[in-house]
Amino acid sequence: MDPLIYILDIIVFVGIFAIVALSLNLEYGFAGLGNFGKVAFFLTGAYTYALLSQIGLPFFLCLIIAALISASIGFLISLSALRLREDYLAIVTLTFGEILRLVVKAEHWIAGGVWGITMPSAISWAGASPRMMAAANIGLVYFCLILGFILVQLVSNSPYGRVLRAIREDETAAEALGKDRFKYKAQAFMLGSGLAGLGGGLFAQYLRFIDPYMFLPTVTFSVWIMVIIGGPANNWGALLGATLVELFSRGTRILKDYLLVPIDPNNLQYILFGLLIVFILLYRPQGLLKESQVKTKALEVISRWKKHS
Amino acid sequence: MEEALLRIREIRKNFGGLRAVDGVSLDVAAGSTTGLVGPNGSGKTTLFNIVFGIHKADKGSVYFNDESISHLAPHEVYARGLVNAFQLPRLFYRLTVLDNMLLAARGHKGDSFVNSLALRQEWQEQEMKLADKAMELLELLELDHLSLHPAAELSGGQRKLLEIGRALVSEPTLLLLDEPAAGINPNLGRRIFEKIETFRQKGLSFFIIEHRVEILLEFAHWIYVMDKGKIAVEGKPEEIVNNPTFYQVYFGEA
Repeated sequence: MDPLIYILDIIVFVGIFAIVALSLNLEYGFAGLGNFGKVAFFLTGAYTYALLSQIGLPFFLCLIIAALISASIGFLISLSALRLREDYLAIVTLTFGEILRLVVKAEHWIAGGVWGITMPSAISWAGASPRMMAAANIGLVYFCLILGFILVQLVSNSPYGRVLRAIREDETAAEALGKDRFKYKAQAFMLGSGLAGLGGGLFAQYLRFIDPYMFLPTVTFSVWIMVIIGGPANNWGALLGATLVELFSRGTRILKDYLLVPIDPNNLQYILFGLLIVFILLYRPQGLLKESQVKTKALEVISRWKKHS
Repeated sequence: MEEALLRIREIRKNFGGLRAVDGVSLDVAAGSTTGLVGPNGSGKTTLFNIVFGIHKADKGSVYFNDESISHLAPHEVYARGLVNAFQLPRLFYRLTVLDNMLLAARGHKGDSFVNSLALRQEWQEQEMKLADKAMELLELLELDHLSLHPAAELSGGQRKLLEIGRALVSEPTLLLLDEPAAGINPNLGRRIFEKIETFRQKGLSFFIIEHRVEILLEFAHWIYVMDKGKIAVEGKPEEIVNNPTFYQVYFGEA
């Protein structure tokens, strides 16, 4: 295989999963919502994109609708799930992800069941080489990533983002300060689901083939690892985490071909992943990057006050 | 007595078989500091939680500014200018002292998701005004030098002050304070009450639970004594200190 394509492929995947990591960071890092069903919204986005592009809708429309449908499903789930305590929310969302995957797998009429679904290439032109196609995909994915990043940065550095953090710290106290916690949590969940759906859409668009086995719960867990390693409540941390985890996973996949170990080399990756998480949680439980401050003009006022005194 | 700002009528609340509040009626006059005292377990905090909407009363009603607030959620009660400061400070410990203060502002435009994106200019201006106000309050509470430190770094007394300061940011009409002077040194306890008095003179009303009766008697205008879920005695501080029932309830003396 062309090594350059392999590198471009890694770059595309980093971008896609960075979007999903940003979405989980918004839900978990800022709002404290333990969403263990991230893959469900990733799946929704991917399948929405696939079905719409088969009808022949232009790719940008497919992506927008994929994000919107994921967001609406996120809203529906949040209506019931967000009234539960943290650990129950985790169980409900985890189960929801699996149910959704099993339905798509069993119901052939939706999207081909176990055989998966193929779709036409969104980005293609006469004489396009695989390298140029991959480069075009990088352009599309990183355009979406930049938009998503600007959005979450604006949201987290606003009074709204401050309320999300307050709800994460102490829901009752936040409610005692006049914040309607269900509204805030539902909005954060919706926004997170929409972003994850966008990531799913880009994933389907890039691969041009998806099947239910691509949406196992491990997808959720690797996104969690990205957020935990990068540093929750820091959007740069989510980008860093996505990059590191993707590189680590590709690296160990290559590494296992060169190592002689007395274990199944396919399991090596999981073992190393486990070790990595244990080390991070032991020595840097807050993640590589610290929680970011809420940056608003209030900080300018404070520096003025500090000068006076 | 002046017109009542808060009227509590025949409130009852059971927890399983335990009758925590048993038909309490009382008034808090506008512009006053009203005290609520009584032994542990007499139902004071439960009554506060009912007023603020954290618990729902089994029977009875609560009126604030002549509006029934019995069925409102805490955030709705808050929006009407009735604010509660918890007995054990419930701060957002990983957020800065300043963020804790700013979170308490009522009607901050940037608090809504759509406005946080659409009305950036407007809420940034509001944010600067609020930060100024927050810093004035923090200066008064001698916390201004800690404004950018996480609330977790504060001492017990400072946490108490921040809890009260946070309640003041919202410009409430009536402030419920649950033991503002408990668990801190006597000096600071008195200073907290002196600060409460300066805010009262600016037009706020206070409804205060306090075990440090000697301080409360000095600053309150009207005292309710609660025992076993009922109001045992009420009156002006000077009347209360001469009432034998008060001592009987509070110190178990005949």
